[in-house]
Parts: sequence; structure tokens; C-alpha cells
Amino acid sequence: MNNSARTKAYGRSAMIALTLAVLTIIEFYVAISLDSAIFLMLIALFKAVIVVQAYMHVSRLWSPEGEH
Amino acid sequence: MTLWSLGLVRGVVGQIVGFAAGMALVIASRLLFGFDPVWNQEPALVGGIIIGSIGFLIGVGALTDWFKWMRGIETPLHHGPPHGRPAWTRYFGVDYNHKVIGIQYGVTGIILLGIGGMFAVIFRTELAASGFQFLNPSNYNTYLSMHGWAALAAILLGIGGMANYLVPLMIGAEDMAFPRLNAFAFWINVPGIITLLMSLNYGWDGGWTVYPPLSVLGPVGYQFTFWAVFLIGLSSILGSLNLIVTILRMRPPGMSLFRMPIFVWAVFATSLIQLTATQFIGQAFLMLSFERLLGMGFFDPDKGGAPILFQHLFWFYSHPAVYIFVLPGLGIISEILPVFSRKPLFGYRWIALSSIAIALVGFLVWGHHMFTSGYGEYLRVPFMISTLLVAVPTGVKFFSWLGTMWGGKLSFPTPMLFVLGAISVFLIGGLSGPILATTATDLFLHDTYFVVGHFHATIFGGFVFPFFAAIYFWYPKITGRMYDETLGKIHFWLMTPAFWTMSLGQMSVGVMGMRRRIADYDPALGVEFGHVLVTIAGFTIAFSVLLMIYNLLHSAETGRVAGNNPWRSRSPEWQIPSPAPEHSYASPITVVGEPYDYGIPNSTYVHMAPLAAADD
Amino acid sequence: MTTVTAALEGYTQQLRNNRMGLWLFFISEAFLFGGLLVTRFYLWGNTRPELDQTIGLIVTGVLLLSSFSMNMAETAIEHGDRRTFLGGLAVTAVLGLVFLIGVMVFEWGLFPAIYEGHLKPGDNVYGAVVFAMTGMHALHVISGIIFIAIVWNLGRKGGFSPERHWGVESCAIYWHYVDVVWIFFYPALYLIGTVAH
Repeated sequence: MNNSARTKAYGRSAMIALTLAVLTIIEFYVAISLDSAIFLMLIALFKAVIVVQAYMHVSRLWSPEGEH
Repeated sequence: MTLWSLGLVRGVVGQIVGFAAGMALVIASRLLFGFDPVWNQEPALVGGIIIGSIGFLIGVGALTDWFKWMRGIETPLHHGPPHGRPAWTRYFGVDYNHKVIGIQYGVTGIILLGIGGMFAVIFRTELAASGFQFLNPSNYNTYLSMHGWAALAAILLGIGGMANYLVPLMIGAEDMAFPRLNAFAFWINVPGIITLLMSLNYGWDGGWTVYPPLSVLGPVGYQFTFWAVFLIGLSSILGSLNLIVTILRMRPPGMSLFRMPIFVWAVFATSLIQLTATQFIGQAFLMLSFERLLGMGFFDPDKGGAPILFQHLFWFYSHPAVYIFVLPGLGIISEILPVFSRKPLFGYRWIALSSIAIALVGFLVWGHHMFTSGYGEYLRVPFMISTLLVAVPTGVKFFSWLGTMWGGKLSFPTPMLFVLGAISVFLIGGLSGPILATTATDLFLHDTYFVVGHFHATIFGGFVFPFFAAIYFWYPKITGRMYDETLGKIHFWLMTPAFWTMSLGQMSVGVMGMRRRIADYDPALGVEFGHVLVTIAGFTIAFSVLLMIYNLLHSAETGRVAGNNPWRSRSPEWQIPSPAPEHSYASPITVVGEPYDYGIPNSTYVHMAPLAAADD
Repeated sequence: MTTVTAALEGYTQQLRNNRMGLWLFFISEAFLFGGLLVTRFYLWGNTRPELDQTIGLIVTGVLLLSSFSMNMAETAIEHGDRRTFLGGLAVTAVLGLVFLIGVMVFEWGLFPAIYEGHLKPGDNVYGAVVFAMTGMHALHVISGIIFIAIVWNLGRKGGFSPERHWGVESCAIYWHYVDVVWIFFYPALYLIGTVAH
């Protein structure tokens, strides 16, 4: 395990969190200004997909062995 | 060996202790948060139910391994009967072998089926004549409602029994994917059943559908039902999860999806429904429970709630639940027919896919239970069409059964008789279905005995008859001995005509105007003779089932030794010794052919020994 | 085949079974939370109760941060960094508790001495659905915190390695799943619809 790979992984984790935070703020302002339920649910869906893909590594379900 | 070493005994003691602890907990927290009457029966009882169930699971030992994992202790799987105790004791405690768990499910299912049937016989006797004989309207309704949930729980257990015993055997797996979860999923049923039976003490009268507002206003017995169903539903969810992983991940080399035994397909389709839809009834019943406890107005129009919402949530589970009940049974029919027809199963792929199709379409039809509920009228026609659509994949199954028997070398031992009985009874249920699915006729027949007749025909044809067929068919594999063929045939010839009488009788009194869930009726309706017939038929069925139980118990001791494969089946579980050994397969199996090529020379399905020794 | 590779193969097999099992559990739970959302839209339609927007944003942000620290912890054990792993878990559990306090004390008004809640479960359909949704979610948060505490304790005693840490992985994705549920519950409770009164 070299340190740069680890730092890179932490950085990626932080970037995803930042993206989610930005999306949440957008969500809040969409709610105030647009009041569109569909649009809000789409943003929520987008956030959920990011979490499922990046944090919950759903792809490990069908990826071959090895990688944890 | 002491009584205390039996898990079941420890579990019951745990439940009693937990019940008391739960009640104390509720009283203590009411004191702490300053609620006015510190003693309030209903919340205290609910606390008792919840903690009591946990107490049972701790007592029986279903959580022991997991508690050890939490402390970082590894727990290797224990195989074989427990040390220093007779072998039979393993059936009364936590055991991780899927065959033991399958028997536990099956036997509990039969016992509960008996209890459910007993309730039916009680109120059936009351209905044999108009006027009140020995029941009053309130306890009539309690027995009727108890009959509903006891029988439904029994069916879920029976399905769990067949699936747990057969699926790993049929796919040549060592065990289920998660043996501990499997044991947990069985044992959580037992506190559920105990809780359900406790509701008798308080009574509840809403029928198995427990619609609000009646179920919110009724006696406290409802709370027991809600939580009992919640526990049994949790078992469904965890059990089906286990089965899906087992089926998808633990098949032997060569067994592609379309080379699985057809029963495994049926279980897979059933598990898909159980895994998902069950959450809705759990949620709906929790909402009812909390509406009673905290006055949360989900279904109370005074508070802005909507009673019809409950019906939507309830039927979104409870209609697919009917397919949960019948799909494994239909799988059993397709599984057993080719063996006794000595011919390939007709249209294997179509049968496999029709199970999936029924499961998927089943999610879109719940509204046909609500034609008279007052929901939006524009919903009626779509739900009518989607419901009628179910007839298509079901019809596929009927054609396949006929095609399989056509030109076959039929023989008629008891399992085959029950399969044919199942087809005839399911046909009655199936043909009365479209009449109820059509809005115009349903408006007339809704809430009459016609519905009762239709439902019992589908459930007997789709579950009870195939379940009995499966019991007789796999009995030699389970015990190593044959059941008594004569008694089996008497059972069949008593039960089948009796059931036809019962089902058609119920439908006819329904058309004549007999409402369901009513303790009394006007003799002027002219239904009294019909009710007498139905009651006699009910008693005959009950007697014939007792005959079966006697047969099963008696033959386990005295039956003729069956041998490995008395039915000349091709399925892998028949290629191993009877009774099935602790480790089912001495060596891994390999699938090399089609499962149902009966009567085709030189065709093999499984190789019992590995094809080539690649190891070492 | 040596016994070591056989054991590893057995572990990988079980790991893949475990992953599928856990995801099937998530699918099942999705129907539970989906049912609550259906209830919300059926009963409220395009209206919503007046909830404290500041609390809503704060708890949502806290849960998001906890997802980040949880992912840090999981990444750390994958790279054998035990200190960050334990620290990340601890931070996640604390943030989870902050979320719970935010909901239970400042939304529910569990302790009227600190904050008098303005919604009661028995008031009307708004109170009922708010308490049902946040209550069911809080139940999952609580079980997640217990799960984290167990994993943290095992990790402290030297459990888990970069090669074998299913306990951590399952705990992490369970926690993220609870976050995903809140991603849908937050707009459904706080943002969608006009305030009814």
C-alpha cells in the first residue's frame, strides 16, 4: 500500500461529498424558487445514484473476484 | 437430557420473561415521561409482544452465533445431531441443516394448518343452521378471523418447508447460502404464532383483512394480530432473500437457469414477490398499530387520513401474496407430473417464464379487490384488464400439464392422484376468477360466499393439494420408508369430492345471496341445505387430513423401506440414499443434460461424481 | 489446490453471497420506504407541514458529512490505515447521534424542556406522516450506530484487514443506504409542496 494511492482515494471520497453538498444546496434553492416536485425528485434521484455508485460500490456485485 | 436443553422450551420461557420485561419497560417509560395513567393496557401489551419475541429468539438460541460475532468470536458451522442428546432433539432447537429446518417449517405448518382448520370447523358448524346455536356474533368473527391468519401463516410455513428442504437438494448445494439466517427466519415464526394465538384471549373481529376503521376501534386483540403478522412477514422476507441468493449463486456446474428443476423456478418467482411486497403489509399493519397507540391519523378521515389508503397498501401485498401461496404448488405439479407420465415436461421454458410472468403481473392487479371501495372509477377498467391478463400465464401452465400427460404412460400412486386433484380444484378456482375480475359481476358478488368459494378453490388447488402431493412424494426421501398407499388413496378419495362439494357449495350459496363474515342468515334465502352440505364436506376434509397425519406418523416406523429412488425420478435428490444423509452429496454434482427427458433413451441429467478430478 | 487458496476461495464465495444478500435486503427495504413515500404523497398531495427549514438543512448536512467520514473509514481499512479507519468510524457515529438529536429533540420535541415541538403524532395527518417517516428512518439510524459501535470495537481489538473486512464494508454500505433514504425523505418532508395551514 503506497501512500499516494491512499491519499488519492481520500481525495476522491471528499470530492464526492462536495458534489453531494453542492447538489443539496441547489436542491434547496430549487425548492424556494421553482417549487417543482418533479425537479426535486430528479435531483434526489441523481444524488442517490451518486451515493449508490461511488460510496456503496454497487458494481462490486457483478465485478469479478479480487477487488474489495 | 433435560427439558431445558430443548431450544423450544428455553424460547418459550424467554418469551414469557421478555413479555413481562416489555410491559415493565413501557410502564417505566410512561412514568419517566409523565404520561397520565401510568397503567395503560394496550401500550404495555405491545411492549410485551415486542420484547417477548426478542426474548424467544434469545432463549431459543437463534441469535447466539451473531452475538459471538459481535465480540469477534468465530463460530464454525456445527454439523450433525447435537452432542450427548438424542438425535430427535435437534428438531426442537436451532439447527443449521436446511433439511432439518425444512422439516421444522413443514411440521409447524401442518400443525398450524390443523389449528386454522379447527377454527373453520367450529364456525362452519354454527352455520349449518340459521339462528344462533353455540356462538355469538363476536366470537364467531374472532374464530373466522383467526382461521384466516392461522391458515395463511400455515401456508407460508408450508412453502418455507418445501423450499428449504428441496431447493438446496435439487440444485446440488451443500446448504442454503446463509444457514444462520435460515434458522433465524424459521424461529421468528414461532413467537409470531404464539402471539397470534394469544389474540384469542382478547378477540378481534375484522376478518383477515383488518380494514380500518373497525380494526382501530375494535378490541386489543388486533394488536396481537398486527405484530404476529409483522413477525411472520419478517420471516418471509429473510427466507426469500436466502433462497434467491442460494438459487442464483450456488448451482452446480452445467445447471444453467433453464436446466433448473421447475420447482426451483417457482420458488424463485415466489421469493421475488415475498422479498418486496411483504414490506407493504408490514408497514400497513405497523401504521394500524400506531394509529391505535398514538392516535396517528393515517386512516382517520377526522384527522385528514384516508381509510382507502390502507386497502391500497394491504392489497399491494395481499394480492401478490396469493401468488406466493400458489406458485410453489404449481411448481410441484409441474415437477411431479412428468415423473408419473414418463414423458418430458411439455414446454419447460414457457412454464418457467410463466411463473415469473405471474409474479410480475401480480404486482399490477391489487385494485380488483377494491372495486366497491369507492376509489376513483377510472381505476376500475385498468385493474380489470390487468387481472384478466393473469389468466394467460396461468393458462400456459394448464396447457403444459395437459401436454405432459397426453400420450404418457400414466401411473396413479397417491402423489399423482393429489396432483390431478390439484389440477381439477385449481381449475374450479381459475374459472371462477374472471367472474370476480370483471367489474360488472364483481359489484354483485363482492363480499358474498362466492368469493369464499373462489378463494378456497385457488388455495386448495394451488397450495393444499400440491403440498399433500409433495409430502407423499418426498416422504420416502425424508424418512427412508414408504407411506401406506391404501390410506393415502382413501385420503385422496375422501378429500377431493368433499372439496368439490365445499367449494361449489360455497359459490352457490354466495350467488343465492349469502354474505361472508356473518354469523347468521335468513332461512328465506334458501341456503340452509347448501350450508349443511358445505359443513359435512368440511368435516370430511378435516377427517381425511387426520388420516394423512396418522399415515405419516405410523409409516415412519412400520413402512416398507423405500430405497434410493422409488419413483424412478431423474432429479438429483433421488440419486442419493434415503433418508437423505447429513451431507446430502458426497461429491459435487455436474449437470450434463435436460431435467425432464423422461422416456428418452440414453439421456442423463446429472453426473454424481465430478467429471474429471482437476484437483491435487 | 493448497488449503490456503481453498480457504481464500471459500471466503470470496461467501463474500459474494453476502454482498448479494445485503443488496437484496436493501431492495426489500426500498419497498418499505417507498411505501412511506406513497403514503406521504397519497395523504399530503402537493402540500406539506410547516417544518423548521434550518433544522432540516442542518440534519441533512450532518448525515451527508457522516457518509463522507464513513467512506473515509472504509477506504482507510482497504489501505491498511487503522488510525483513520477507527477515527472515521467514531466521527460517523457521533454525526449519526447529532442527526438523531436534531430530529428527536428539535423536530419531535421529545424533551419539551429544551424545545417544545409544534407537531404531535396524534394531531392530524401531517404529524402522523412526519413521525412515521422520520421514526422509521431514525430506527435505521439507531441500528446503524449500533452496527458502527460493534465494528469500531472489533477494529480497535485488531479485527479486519485490507483483504478481509466484510464487516466494515457491510456496515459502511448500510450506513450509506440510510443516507440514500434520507436523500428522498428530505425533499419529500421539507421541500415539496406548499405549506398547509
